[in-house]
Amino acid sequence: METDVPDQENRYDLSTRRKSFLGFTKDDLLKGLFGGNAFVSILVLSLITLFLFKEGAGFFGQYRDSLRLYRLSGLEYVETMRQEQDALSALNRYLNSIRTLQSEKLVDSGMDFMQVKAALRTDEDFYYAFEDLAMPLRDFVLEANDIVGTARDSYVEMLDLKAHRQNLLDAGRDAEAEALKITEVDLALFFNLVKSRESEFLEINRTLEAAIPQLLAEPPVYDDLELNAKMERFQELAAMFLEEVPDFESKVTGWDREQPIGMGNALTSFIFGRDWVTNSSIQDWYGIVPLFTGSLLVALIAMGFAVPLGVGAAIYVNQAASRMEQNIIKPYIEFISAIPSVVIGFFGIAVFGTLVREISNWEALSWISFFPLSERLNGFTAGGLLALMAIPTIFTLAEDALNNVPLSYKEASMAMGSTRLQTIVRIIVPTALSGIISAVLLGFGRVVGETMVVLLCAGNRIEIPRFTEGLGVVFEPVHTMTGIIAQELGEVVHGSIHYRALFVVGLVLFIISLLINYVAQKIVIKFQISRG
Amino acid sequence: MSVMTNENIPKPLVEKENVPPSEPETTPNRSLIEISNFNFFYGDKQALFNVDMSIKEREVTAFIGPSGCGKSTLLRCINRMNDLIDIARIGSGTISVNGVDIYDERVDTIELRKRVGMVFQKSNPFPKSIYENVVYGLRIQGITRKSVLDETVERCLKGAALWEEVKDRLDTSGLSLSGGQQQRLCIARALAVEPDILLMDEPCSALDPVATAKVEELIHELKNRYTIVIVTHNMQQAARVSDKTAFFYLGELIEMNATDQIFMSPDKEQTEAYISGRFG
Repeated sequence: METDVPDQENRYDLSTRRKSFLGFTKDDLLKGLFGGNAFVSILVLSLITLFLFKEGAGFFGQYRDSLRLYRLSGLEYVETMRQEQDALSALNRYLNSIRTLQSEKLVDSGMDFMQVKAALRTDEDFYYAFEDLAMPLRDFVLEANDIVGTARDSYVEMLDLKAHRQNLLDAGRDAEAEALKITEVDLALFFNLVKSRESEFLEINRTLEAAIPQLLAEPPVYDDLELNAKMERFQELAAMFLEEVPDFESKVTGWDREQPIGMGNALTSFIFGRDWVTNSSIQDWYGIVPLFTGSLLVALIAMGFAVPLGVGAAIYVNQAASRMEQNIIKPYIEFISAIPSVVIGFFGIAVFGTLVREISNWEALSWISFFPLSERLNGFTAGGLLALMAIPTIFTLAEDALNNVPLSYKEASMAMGSTRLQTIVRIIVPTALSGIISAVLLGFGRVVGETMVVLLCAGNRIEIPRFTEGLGVVFEPVHTMTGIIAQELGEVVHGSIHYRALFVVGLVLFIISLLINYVAQKIVIKFQISRG
Repeated sequence: MSVMTNENIPKPLVEKENVPPSEPETTPNRSLIEISNFNFFYGDKQALFNVDMSIKEREVTAFIGPSGCGKSTLLRCINRMNDLIDIARIGSGTISVNGVDIYDERVDTIELRKRVGMVFQKSNPFPKSIYENVVYGLRIQGITRKSVLDETVERCLKGAALWEEVKDRLDTSGLSLSGGQQQRLCIARALAVEPDILLMDEPCSALDPVATAKVEELIHELKNRYTIVIVTHNMQQAARVSDKTAFFYLGELIEMNATDQIFMSPDKEQTEAYISGRFG
């Protein structure tokens, strides 16, 4: 009987019996493991964000300095003159194209070389006179550009040397620092050299304004209609050029070197800048617009394919397909996302792009104004392949959304004598619409962030797509935000302005993705089907 | 007027060719639904065994029995809702409505369901406005005339005894109503297509006693115009609302008779055991 008593007591000894390790029980360790995982993923995400911001933040300061130097050195001033010179060169090129065409026609008509040469000689004076007109402007711009360019380069060199000296001083190597010979560069001095010759530029313009109409008064006349039409067009172009001359001039004379450049200019020049030019001998431009519009265009093309296909397939599989069809279709579509994007890109270059161009050459399609295509790799090729990558996302999420529509809705609708199609169109799709929209948004996010396919297939021409061209715009080669990062980041100098510009592009991408995901989540939560 | 055609002249159930029409009966309570020797399967599992019954016009017929006895299955066979289930199939036997075999291959289920409406166990208004819920049946028939739709909404909501409660907020979502109101909205929705038969699958199982009383009252009123078949777990409800009661057990129809008869002096022992609460 006595042995029973301690047993009784033991039963109510409620202190823990679980083994502990360094004061932690198994539960604590498991909790720590999972909590730790969650913590690490949040930490990594915030580190990435931080890193992006840190690397990108320096960009605007550097870009402002670069733009400031561009102005102070006078490069900006000379740039306007160069634009005028470019316009004039374009005119000359057009004129040359007429002459080339004329000689081709003459050869076609059966003349031999000497005869053609003789025939061309009749209009020689006109051509040569026009070419000569362009010479003074070209020489002037070249010279001016030389001066301001040298000024800028030596100024940059001076800054580098100063930085170098500072480094030496910091390292305590004073003697070496003293030995560095640094000449101060006065940008104003160089600029004034150019500015003082502004009258020469104006003089050249006067000559042009006098000589061009004189030349145009007696244009060459041909026996050929096409040539005459071209010559007429040339006259129009020349007249347009003359009208532009005063604009160039007022821009040159009204240019203000002292106008300050602040952070705002750097920011607007990035956000609204229409040029992305790197490694230029004159000035680098980092404008995101061509890349942004390129990304947008490719993504829109991709969505144009992916939304009908993905949502349509989801509706079919969820509502109409037999179980066997479901078992085939679903894994197949989901399998697409397992194909590495570089393989899809490769397929795009090797097969799809070529196919698109082949098709554009078909006689039956020649009525389409932008066919046949000259570029094999363009926004359409990339978009068509990106659609492949968006379809699994859209399909899976849209199918989930349709699945979430209570069966009772379908039953109620069918019980009232509606057809399957009516039930789908009027009840099931509207009820699942929020889920479908967020599926589409997430698919869009996937497409905007995709890199390999656009890098390989989009054509990589950094230019704003010409949306005014109508539908033909989809067949233009474009470059994208993701593509430019992948392409250029490996080759830039660490810490340079170009390097930082790419980080800012990455930051923009990051923000876009974040926004899309946020909006998609909001839509789902806001319009969630209430099941009462 | 196409609207009038749609509304007033019922389309024949059988589209291709006329099945011989039933001999016209003028007696008030003629048999409207005839079920004979009906066997039904879900896959390999037989759910109904040799069911024979006839349901009279403008009467309330209650199906009672323990869970899984096949009463809901039979109900869903009457408007062929079981067609939506892949594995469901008929073994043998027929169900005819107004003399037409509804499992004839020429029967269009769409037309059938317009005449045999259904109210479900869980109230399931669409996530649309009250107004749109009621007119849904007309919209799918392509009726767009505002006057017709307005008239239908008022008539059906009055018919479902819901009009007074919602007439000022027809644009609010059907899901914003209380459970009992939602169920009456579903009844109104079913009435809009002007069915002859109303199948109710445990319409009050999710409702509180007050809402249940309202729906039962409504069933009483609807009886004057519609033939109603109601499945219920609640024997008091069957006793209160129905004229005829059918007792099912393990997929078989055990007994069918006038409700009073069933509850006062059932013929079969099983029936008595069930209604007196000895099992089920």
